[in-house]
Order: sequence, then C-alpha cells, then structure tokens
Amino acid sequence: MTATDLVPAGFTPPVDAETVSVEDYRAAVQRWLDEHAAELAKPAEHSLEAEVAQLGKVRRALFDAGWMRYGWPVAAGGLGGPDVLRAVLNEEIAERDLTDGTNFSIVEVLAPTMVSYARPELAAEMLPLLLSGREQWCQGFSEPGSGSDLASLSTRATRRDDGSWVVNGQKVWTSLAQYAQRCVLLTRTAPGHAGITAFFVDMDSPGITVRPLRTMHGIDEFCEVFFDDVVIPADRMLGNEGDGWRLAMDLLPYERSTCFWHRITYLFTRLDMLLAEAAKQETEPEAATDAAIGAAYLALHTVRCRSRDTQRRLAAGAHLGPETSVDKILLSTADQKLFDTAREVLPGTIELTDAHWRTEYLYSRAATIYGGTAEIQRNIVARRMLDLGKE
Amino acid sequence: MDAEEQSLLAEALRGTMTETAAGTALDAALGDLGWADLLAEEPAVAVRLVFSLLGETGAHAPVLNDVVLAATGQPLGGTVALPYAGGRVVVWERKDAGSAPDEGGLLDGTLPLRVLGAGDDAEAAAVVTDPAALAAGRRALGWWLVGTGRAMLALARTHALDRVQFGRPIAGFQAVRHRLAETFVALEGAEAALAAAEDELASLLGKAAAGQAALDAARHCQQVLGGIGFTAEHALHRHIRRALVLDGLFGNTRELTREAGAHIRRLGRAPRIAHL
Ligand SMILES: Cc1cc2nc3c(=O)[nH]c(=O)nc-3n(C[C@H](O)[C@H](O)[C@H](O)COP(=O)(O)OP(=O)(O)OC[C@H]3O[C@@H](n4cnc5c(N)ncnc54)[C@H](O)[C@@H]3O)c2cc1C
Repeated sequence: MTATDLVPAGFTPPVDAETVSVEDYRAAVQRWLDEHAAELAKPAEHSLEAEVAQLGKVRRALFDAGWMRYGWPVAAGGLGGPDVLRAVLNEEIAERDLTDGTNFSIVEVLAPTMVSYARPELAAEMLPLLLSGREQWCQGFSEPGSGSDLASLSTRATRRDDGSWVVNGQKVWTSLAQYAQRCVLLTRTAPGHAGITAFFVDMDSPGITVRPLRTMHGIDEFCEVFFDDVVIPADRMLGNEGDGWRLAMDLLPYERSTCFWHRITYLFTRLDMLLAEAAKQETEPEAATDAAIGAAYLALHTVRCRSRDTQRRLAAGAHLGPETSVDKILLSTADQKLFDTAREVLPGTIELTDAHWRTEYLYSRAATIYGGTAEIQRNIVARRMLDLGKE
Repeated sequence: MDAEEQSLLAEALRGTMTETAAGTALDAALGDLGWADLLAEEPAVAVRLVFSLLGETGAHAPVLNDVVLAATGQPLGGTVALPYAGGRVVVWERKDAGSAPDEGGLLDGTLPLRVLGAGDDAEAAAVVTDPAALAAGRRALGWWLVGTGRAMLALARTHALDRVQFGRPIAGFQAVRHRLAETFVALEGAEAALAAAEDELASLLGKAAAGQAALDAARHCQQVLGGIGFTAEHALHRHIRRALVLDGLFGNTRELTREAGAHIRRLGRAPRIAHL
C-alpha cells in the first residue's frame, strides 16, 4: 500500500490542509456539520452501546467527508496539516453535543503516539480504521498492583525463539476494552523503567479475556483484561524493546492538548445547560447562586486560557513536559467544581429526578483519578516545576 | 516588542524598582524610563511588565492612575477616584505615605491611599465607571496581584528548602510540597487568564483569577513559613497586606466572581473567550 492509496481515488479534500487558516477551517467544518445535523444527531437512548454506536457513526461520517483526516500524517492515511485542526474539530463536535463527554477524544490519547512509534506500514494500516469509526482502541496501562506507580507494572512479555512474544498478566480500568479491536499495551520485558515495552495488540488474539466492571456512574466503560499466553508478533512492538516508558510519557502532550480542549468545550456546554435550567426555576436566584456559577465559570475560563496557551506552544514546536500537570490540575478542579455547582444550583435534581445530571456528576468524581491522580500531578509540579528535590 | 527587548526592559524595570524608594521617587524614575510612551505605544506589554514587577519586587508607585487616565484619553500624572470593595471609593495619592506597613490606620500603610468619606461626595461622584477604564485597571491590578503571589511563593519555597525539621528540609514533606504546588498552579492559571484579557468580561475574570491566586498564595505561603512568617521582620506580611489591599480595588475577588455569575445567568450562555 502506498500513501496515496490511503485516500480513495477521486476524493477531493474540502479544504487545503497546508494553507487553510484556523478560521476558514472552522467555518468549513461548521457549515458541513450544520448541513448534516439531522443525520449526526445523538440518539435519545442513553446506553453505552448507543454511545459507542454513535461514536462510530460520527467518526465514519467525518472520515468519509475528510474532516477526520486533517491534522494526521499523509503517510498514515491523513490529509496532513497542523495538529490544531484536530483540536478545532474536537471543539465543534463537543459544542454540538454529538458524542459523550470523553470518548470522542480517546483518539487523541492513543493515536498520535501509536503513529509515531509504530512501523510506518502498521500505522498506515491501522490509523484509518480508528479514524473512520470502524474500530475502537483501548489503553492497557494500569494493573491491579500498578496504578499511580505505573512503572512497577508486571504484565510480562517474553520473547520466543521465532521472535514473537508471549504475554501473561492482567490490566484493569481499561476503558472501552469490551468494544476495542486493538490495545496499546505496556508490558514488562526487563527490570526498571527501561524494561517496559509497548505492543499494539489485537484484542481477538487467543488468550485475552475481557470482563467489564460495573462503574459508579452506571456507564460501565471500563474492564479487567486478562492475558494468558497471548502471542504477539514481533512487528507489533511499538518502538524498540524498552521504549514503553518513553511512549507512555510522550502520550501526555496530546492527551493534554487536543483531548483537554474537547473536554473543556464539553464542560462549557454543560455550564450553558446549567444556566438554562437555572432560568427555569421559579424562585429568584440568591446571590450565592451567582457566586457559585461565577466560580465555576471562572475555573473553566481559566483552564481554557491555559490550554489555549499550551496548544500555541505545541504548534510553535515546543516540547511539552511536566508543566502540563498544571493544565491537568486546573481541568480536573474545574470539572468537579462545575458539577458541584450544578448540584447546588439545582437542588434535588441529581438525587431525585435527572439521570443525565446524575451520571455526569458522578463521572466528574473520577476527574481527579484518571490520567494521573490529583496528588500525583501535585507531586510532579513540586518536583519538576518548583524544584523542591525529593520527598 | 520582541521577546528579547521585553526581557531587557524587564531587567531595567526590576533594577529601578529595587534601587529606588517606592512611591513618588519610583513614580519619577518610571517616568524617566519612558513609562508614558510605553503605555501609549505598547499598553499590554507595559502594563504586564510594570505591574507584575511591582508585585514581585514589593515596590509601589501611583501608576494605576495613569492606566485609568490613558484608557479614557486623559493626560497622565493626576489622580482619579477609584472604586473599592463594599461600594467604597479611594484615591491613590501621588505623594508618599508612611514607610511602615502598620502605620496610618490602613492594612498597608505604605500605600498613599485616601479613603473618601462623608465630606468627599463631589470627589467620590467622579469615581471611575467607564467600562474600558475599569477593564484596564483590572488588568493592571491582576498583574500586580500575580507578581505579589510570585513573591510570596519565592519566599516560601526558599524557606521550605532551608528549614530543617525532623532531620530534613521541610520541602521533603508532601503536605508542604502540595501547598506550594497549589500556589504555583493558581498563579499560572491567573497569568493565562490575564494574557487572554482583552475585553471587559475577560478583564474582570482575569482580575478575579489573579485575586484568588494571590489569596491562595497568602494562605499557603503563610502556613509553610510557620512562625517566622508571622514576624514583622520577615517580608511575607508586607506582600500579604499588599495582596489584600489590591484585591479590594476595582471589586474584590468575591464581588467580581458573583458579577461574572450574574452576567452569564442573564446572558443564558457562558461566553468562550480564548480561541485557538
Ligand atoms: C474512569 C476511569 C477510566 C480509566 N481508564 C483507564 C484506561 O483506559 N487505561 C488505563 O490504563 N487506566 C485507566 N484508568 C486507571 C487510572 O489511570 C488509575 O486509576 C490511576 O492511575 C490511579 O491508580 P489507582 O486507581 O491504582 O490508585 P492508586 O495509585 O492506588 O492511588 C490511590 C490513592 O493514593 C494516592 N497516591 C498514590 N501514590 C501517591 C503518592 N506517591 N503521593 C501521594 N498520593 C499518592 C492517589 O493519589 C490516590 O488518591 C482509569 C481510571 C478511571 C477512574
């Protein structure tokens, strides 16, 4: 397969990836989304199955029209152009509430690193499957014994005589594993940080067992994943033996730029909803209501400004590092503050009457846990940004 | 002005602020450095550099007046009646106050603030209400508050590394580290909000974020400094007094936050201000 085969013959990209301005790109995406609003609308049903199906439908339509390909390398089936085009697309999808609050941007967590560590042929084969909504991928990092201390992971990969690898162990909290065709998996091949190796694994490989876990918010999005003598071909290694830790760290810049921008936008839409519901209430709001709403808005606005700066730095070629823990802390704090405010401003709603607010409120409780806990982020800021030395 | 020119200017300003007596002498020295032209030609850079450095160095000069005057097209150098928390009005005089922070009956007695009272109705009636002037004043105060917060963080960080208890520097204790990290995050967020503050709403939010960050810094840094931070001898209390007083100018954090909430509730939508 050559790079040009990846885009079907006769396909004319709607805009020129290399020359289009952010404003023109946004306007073109908006026009297209407006024209296709009816077919893309979210189904009324609110199950995880429906959500995953919706995710596939939206990605497929965006891919076929070309939008989902912008900002991805041509060699891997993209149309090229800067990363910021992806952030704009994520923002427009979130503004229109076409998918749920996090899953659309999972692409942004896994794909950039996969593309930069995989063999070019593997990236070219796989990325279009994800972008076009034909597949879901999952992230197999955390284990029962290794959460915050990710580098202690013990799922073992052993090389066989024919060069392939055998994996044994267990992953946990693996989001969407029950729907995923592939997994970006961290394994142990030797002691220490340099003994972690990443693979791109087919989830239908013999020996993989996926058991969905019940979650607190009722959307059972994560699973336990067991590996019993799972054979992985050598050419599915991401990078080289021992590159796994570096891969995990390289994931952060993308998770903390495009993906955060999606969540921030999504949270603004929830603040809008809260304002609409507050307006329906019979009693005149108290000063305390305005104070709480203002504080939630201030927190969201602050992380939006910070995230915008981070993406500008990324666009200017900066290497993103520990300073993105600041973005993470601001975002998880704003996320929880917003839903705490919803509970205050709409008394009784979350507890008694509204399943949507309830689910979202409960989900926000995880914001200080996933993607590195609030405490771990503060440890990083203290050590790396304030140079306070070791604990 | 490019980045290199800005850092040269910042060094010149920092030098002047640390070497010149705060108040009228610094007012004159800033004038000699070209403050008026800078404010006219590069208002965003001028305000960010001058006010954040006033905060970091702990100096002061009555240049908030100039920012307000420039925003309404008036000649610089005079004073204006300025809104203060709780519906009060103050004047930041272009003369010197006491030199000790606990002099003069105000929380920060080093600042030449005059509180307008019963007999000052005419003066108080001229209080700034022009939206562009309020926004400009809030941006300046926001940068000052962030600078003050940075000064407190620097004092607390140094202390945490130097002070040994239980056989090791207190910087090794996670409770101490997390307070300092919290302070840093709040200050970084406030800076981002101020850098994006162009219109009135964004300037209001920028000052609220900065006020919150400075108040958080005061609380955390005071705790990290322990007993020494409670002495008149240690510099911390000067910055804490300064932060509390600046927070009240042009609406305090609490008032501005509530105003932002009321504004978006009336609007029925939360404006997205920073764009990619
Ligand atoms: C909704 C959700 C989705 C997730 N999706 C995925 C996924 O798709 N793939 C994946 O691999 N993982 C996923 N995770 C897992 C997530 O990354 C881990 O939960 C997280 O890293 C924390 O690990 P842990 O749960 O084992 O908690 P622990 O590490 O055991 O932490 C428990 C508590 O101890 C604190 N603590 C631990 N170490 C320190 C320290 N050094 N200093 C101070 N405090 C400390 C923590 O901050 C926390 O408060 C998901 C988690 C959630 C909640």
